Amino acid sequence: MDQSLDCLESCVYSSKYRQLLCDLKNTIEGLLVTQVANVWTIYGGLNRLHNIMVKIFKHGCKTSEKEGGIYKFIQGLEWLQPETAKSYFHIECEYRPHIPPHLKRNKSSIWLYRNLENHSLSQKLSWLLSNQTHLYACYHSYAFLCQQKYSEATLICLRALERNQASLISEIDPYLFLDKKGAMKVHRRCSSFPDNYFKKVYEEKTSRNMCDGNLDDIKEDHKINCPGRKSIQGKFKPWKSMPILHNHFEKEFTKVHCQSKTMPNTPEHIKKTESQSLKLKHGLIHKKHTKVREGSKVLFNNLSIVEHTPPQGGSQVIENTSKEDITHTCPLPRKSNRSGGLSTSPMQVVESFLPKAGEKDYKKLPKKSFIEDGGMSVLPMSTGYFPKPAKGQSLLSFLCSSHLNRTNAELDRENAHFSISEAIISAVEQIRCKCGLKEIDEQMDDSDPEISDLKQKIRLRRTAKAIEKHRKAWVADKLNDIASETTTTASPLSTSSASSPTGSCTSLSSWAFDDDLSDSSQIEQSVTVLSSNRLSASTTTLCSELDLSRNLSSLPFSLPPRGTPDGASTSETAQIDVSAEGVAISLIRKFSDKQLPKASDLEWLVSEEDAPQALLPLPKSWPVSPDSCEENSTPLRGTLEWAPPRPQIIFTPHPPQRKKLSIANQNYRCAGCSMKVSSKYAARFRYCEYLGRYFCTGCHTNQLAIIPGKVLQKWDFGRYPVSTFSYRLLEQMYTDPLFHVFELNKNIAKLSKNLQICNQYRQSLYYLKDFIFSCKYAEKINQRLQQERTYILTDPGVYSINDLVNVKKGTMKEQLALLFQTCCRHTAECKICLARGFICEICDTNDVIFPWHMKVVTRCSRCGSCYHSACWNPSKDSCRKCVRLQKKKESIARA
Amino acid sequence: MASRKKTLLKVIILGDSSVGKTSLMNQYVNRKFTNQYKATIGADFLTKELTVDDRTVTMQIWDTAGQERFQSLGVAFYRGADCCVLVFDVTAPNTFKSLDSWRDEFLIQASPREPENFPFVLLGNKVDLEPRAISSKRAQQWCQSKNNIPYFETSAKEGLNVEQAFMAIAKNALAQQNSTVDLYNEFPDQIKLTNTQKPSGGSGCCQ
Repeated sequence: MDQSLDCLESCVYSSKYRQLLCDLKNTIEGLLVTQVANVWTIYGGLNRLHNIMVKIFKHGCKTSEKEGGIYKFIQGLEWLQPETAKSYFHIECEYRPHIPPHLKRNKSSIWLYRNLENHSLSQKLSWLLSNQTHLYACYHSYAFLCQQKYSEATLICLRALERNQASLISEIDPYLFLDKKGAMKVHRRCSSFPDNYFKKVYEEKTSRNMCDGNLDDIKEDHKINCPGRKSIQGKFKPWKSMPILHNHFEKEFTKVHCQSKTMPNTPEHIKKTESQSLKLKHGLIHKKHTKVREGSKVLFNNLSIVEHTPPQGGSQVIENTSKEDITHTCPLPRKSNRSGGLSTSPMQVVESFLPKAGEKDYKKLPKKSFIEDGGMSVLPMSTGYFPKPAKGQSLLSFLCSSHLNRTNAELDRENAHFSISEAIISAVEQIRCKCGLKEIDEQMDDSDPEISDLKQKIRLRRTAKAIEKHRKAWVADKLNDIASETTTTASPLSTSSASSPTGSCTSLSSWAFDDDLSDSSQIEQSVTVLSSNRLSASTTTLCSELDLSRNLSSLPFSLPPRGTPDGASTSETAQIDVSAEGVAISLIRKFSDKQLPKASDLEWLVSEEDAPQALLPLPKSWPVSPDSCEENSTPLRGTLEWAPPRPQIIFTPHPPQRKKLSIANQNYRCAGCSMKVSSKYAARFRYCEYLGRYFCTGCHTNQLAIIPGKVLQKWDFGRYPVSTFSYRLLEQMYTDPLFHVFELNKNIAKLSKNLQICNQYRQSLYYLKDFIFSCKYAEKINQRLQQERTYILTDPGVYSINDLVNVKKGTMKEQLALLFQTCCRHTAECKICLARGFICEICDTNDVIFPWHMKVVTRCSRCGSCYHSACWNPSKDSCRKCVRLQKKKESIARA
Repeated sequence: MASRKKTLLKVIILGDSSVGKTSLMNQYVNRKFTNQYKATIGADFLTKELTVDDRTVTMQIWDTAGQERFQSLGVAFYRGADCCVLVFDVTAPNTFKSLDSWRDEFLIQASPREPENFPFVLLGNKVDLEPRAISSKRAQQWCQSKNNIPYFETSAKEGLNVEQAFMAIAKNALAQQNSTVDLYNEFPDQIKLTNTQKPSGGSGCCQ
């Protein structure tokens, strides 16, 4: 391709591109600004957008209008799109009565119209754009769609529309709207690939493969470069083809400086685990060697699909996958919309990459300081976080989603029960409401009031009967439940699960009782649900996480009864059994034929807006004495016996306690994991000097750390054994300025001469920095001071543990002395700094004094004026300048 | 002697915040004006050479912080001033009312030999703006009450009267210096550095 010509052309057409993009953007912004659930209810919106899209599609099209125009391009979907979607292509081009009549003849327009209407255009367009050859076969190189940045922007716009998220539009490179061509930034590819779709396809694919029993197929499927497998190529296109697009782009605009660095495609080895499953959840992207550059583009090589192997994984085994290394360069959406945008907090992202508590490799991972995240990334800990369903996500897939399945402590398991039961209740309520509405509609048809009255009576009688029946059934059920509980206590699956299904059971029944609208069949339905509760609960226990996800992908929702689990997986499945979502899925599945509402359509009883979980007064930094826990009326976290440790900052050392007594106080539970041991093994518990509690050997590996409390109170820098949790916490806060040492211990200066000296320097620098920072002649020193951590200059009394260690070693003193001397030398010579000095008003000599001449100068704490210490006594004399300032204020107030 | 040597005149500009002290100085020295407001921290100075009565003088104009919060830095530079320029905003009455306190403050901190004869110049700035709050008559009355201080109405934005005002300032400063030249040493800058730090030699001579 002729590069220079291309460049020239893009110059000529750039204004056209801008106009088209602006039109599109403005229209979509206009549609989104009203924040209605369905944007097409806005009059004329769809038509306007359709016109714009037609313009965009037609720009630079090679085939003339008579020859079918853009239809040829659209037709590419037939082979670009995966088989499943193919069959719909022709249907989509057919005319439907609701489409404006002037489009009747034009297949491509109809196609556009219908895809806009059902929110699938962005996805399809991305397929179409993914194939360069096809694109260039249909379009001239100057076409709007051939301009990668603009087509990206178009996709973003469409996606914003489809997701009803106006904020997405801001992801468009603002340079695209500018006239200047020079400032060309590399676009973000990340937002362009149809991530959700990919996931879906992938899951479909794997489930198919699993059904086939041909696991090797998966490996095969990854050979996406293999030309023979066209269909698969289509599916993986967006992942693989984008780099190609990118390269192409680079080739064409060689002069343009590309910021992106494509990482070497070093193959990532899939875990060669035999007993663990290959989990195909792209939400659990394992992030390695990623650095979020300011430029906002993140590439990470290696695929994101595999690599997460939860401990309770099922039994699917993929062997020797490492032979076939799967390498993709796949872009990461910046505002992670992972698996449907469940996560909202950036912390979540970090969380997913943190290893479980107790693992020791956390040092390699990007670490946040204590101040930055309040120790939140140190597990275990609960934040009352609950994921939100994505728009359009089905309830089942939401419940099965990786975010709920992830067994990390952040997701408060107990709260999950509430949230999910809420979800279930609202789902069932919505079904009921629908039925009710339908009936009302029917009633409307019966114009005769008498008939309807009679109907109503019949219905009431039926309902009464049904309730009676239901009550009996329920009681029987309950009895059964109890019986089964008692009989199955030996099995690992049972007891713990019993509470939650019963809970949901009651909630279900409660709506069933006051139900006067639903017909008897509806109630019968609920009764069956109830009676099958026990069964379904146990069914859930038997189906592992993997089963669930597979079940989800193989469309019919009804769960085939599973055989008894093999011995190996029992303990793992037991965990699932307790989980709220497991129970929920089993419940909700009974309603699958009832057209379950989408998870995002649920009206949560208490929505996130009503009660933002982050703001609820969870005790995050409440000093709870381990012993007084029991007396406190309401345990807000954990149980009466145990609560997970919190990331506290403890300023005082713990008084020595008798081990036996303390462990008894802890109810013989490990403070870290709540494991209960019999008293004879309690002696093995280890004491954590930081938290002052006893931990099991799993939670306490005798790691040594400096204890802040001991440093602050006794100037004791010894390293003491601490629990893994404390160790991580202490490590995290090591360099954080958390300690106002002189306020925490008034006598601390007496403990260390070095600290005294350091404090004087810090105080001096605190005054000096005002002079240096505002002096135009002190550039170098200014730079030097800027490098210093800010609190060193602005908060003279604040130290981190690291600082205190340095104070002890003496290095802090040396560094501060050097800094102080450099600054002093400047102020003594600098004209401006000297001019900004003070003259003692009282003795009125011409000596220039500075606040850091602390031995001879006293500073007024209010106005900052300086006097000779010999001339002025702050406790006796009033500051003259303050007096004048006061006078001035008064006179102005009077006037 | 004074005619052969370059004469340095030290001028201090005082007044409430945002009356246009920095703008006046910039207009006079650099002939530039910006509408953007940036509070001055502490003090800063610019110099300008000019010819007064066939003598080349270097005027060192000290711009000060009007905002109280930026006055925590000292005002040692008041010492040795040859002239003090008081500025108020003709559209803001409070800036006029605080002129007295600025004058007093200066006299205390600079402690000149003859406070009653020390040259002040009053500038009513922002005359390009409407509505006026302080009439020229009122300003003139104030000037008369303070031993006939010269008064100029200026606009730093439009450069109105700025040149003339500073010329008057220079003349007054020069007159002051001539009358006290025998009292001071050769140099007007009188900051003596007898503190613990190394004294800076010749800090008075700027260029």
